Amino acid sequence: MQKFSFNRRLVIIIVCLIVSFALMTVSVAIRNKKSTPPLIQQFGNDIVGLTDRVVALPANGLSGSVSSISELLNTYQENQQLKKQVSELAQTKVRDQTLAKENKQLKQQIKLNDSLTDYTAISAAVITRTPSSWQNQVVINKGSSAGVVKNMPVMSGSGLVGRVAEVNKTNSKVELITDNNDSANRFAVSITTKAGKTVNGVLSGYKSATGQIVMDNLTTKSKISKGDKVVTSGLGGVTPKGLFVGTVAKSVGSDYGLSTKLYITPATDLSNLNIVTVAVTKQ
Amino acid sequence: MYRLSKMRFGFPIGLFLLLFIDGSISQIFSRQMFNTPSVMVSHLVVLWLVCGVLFEENMAMPLVKWAAVIGAVFDLYYTGIFGVYIFVFPLVVYLTRQLVNYISPNFLSGLLIYFIDITIVEALSFVASRAVHMTSMSGSSFLVNTLGPTLAFNLAMFVILYFPIRWVYNWLK
Repeated sequence: MQKFSFNRRLVIIIVCLIVSFALMTVSVAIRNKKSTPPLIQQFGNDIVGLTDRVVALPANGLSGSVSSISELLNTYQENQQLKKQVSELAQTKVRDQTLAKENKQLKQQIKLNDSLTDYTAISAAVITRTPSSWQNQVVINKGSSAGVVKNMPVMSGSGLVGRVAEVNKTNSKVELITDNNDSANRFAVSITTKAGKTVNGVLSGYKSATGQIVMDNLTTKSKISKGDKVVTSGLGGVTPKGLFVGTVAKSVGSDYGLSTKLYITPATDLSNLNIVTVAVTKQ
Repeated sequence: MYRLSKMRFGFPIGLFLLLFIDGSISQIFSRQMFNTPSVMVSHLVVLWLVCGVLFEENMAMPLVKWAAVIGAVFDLYYTGIFGVYIFVFPLVVYLTRQLVNYISPNFLSGLLIYFIDITIVEALSFVASRAVHMTSMSGSSFLVNTLGPTLAFNLAMFVILYFPIRWVYNWLK
């Protein structure tokens, strides 16, 4: 009898292991291939997301009021600095408007409707963050009913922060570029060097020790220097052209000495996200 | 006993509340907790389940079932990878029950049991994430950068919340 119960326990453990791995494999496959999760999962996630708002809204509100009190202390200095910037900004804005108008007219002349730079923005609030150390993932409060589609790029503040990984009806999950899995941060980007040359490439990882994005396997002859701006190139996929990623911090030879490896300082603070913007391209 | 007490509704409500608080803590204190490379992960749900076993006495609560339910919700809502925590949480409850048979539960032995539980939760989810290529972290950096800070945070939470949670459980009984 003793032996029988031991065997039964072993069988239960093995069955659980097999079922667990099967479920994991299936859900990873669905996540990589399908544009939306199965209907039951979407429905469950929507209900859980709605209940979560009951807890998350007061908590986020409380943290917002605490941080606004601490921000009040250095308001005076900040105000003086910002006043200087505002006068410059007004000029840039007027120039920007003129250029946008001119651009539109020129596009009409050559009968070009949509180019790679066109996108509309959906702004969303972050509800919660995955409590896990390998998935840097946040849940935002806009889903497919607001027009969010899987793989759309997500921005916060001045720069790119990640991409939409899973879309439900009223909420969706965003994988941040700090996530180091196989598919999280492969954005096609381009760098314009000081000499005026354009270098194209793909982001390849994140170095958590220094908080920098890594871009590997560049085989360009043109010199990339510190401070060059990295923007998305709009090639291959739903990412529009011209989203700011960061600035080049360091350019070194790669491990085998055949190509160049870049370290990029991200444009936004990736550890503090409250409001994000999903960029929607017309397709 | 269980069917007649307030525990029947109080336990699941507390479980879901702590699940959402886990996420909110991670969001609000993300600057401190996800200060790369070292990462602290909050596991208040596990604390509620383990305290369920510690304060259960002769109540016979359906803890394994609720652990599977909350594991499924955790998988679907937070990680999106189904099949990890749905098995890990019930395993932790089962293991804690086995340990409580040998060690009589009090504050210090509870701390010891919780230490073992958190180690198992983190280690198993690490193995699962490695298996499906969700992470490329090496074993040694897992021990130093994730397991160490996570244990420190969660044991501190155990020390702070042990007596409040015991009070809640006694009130619910």
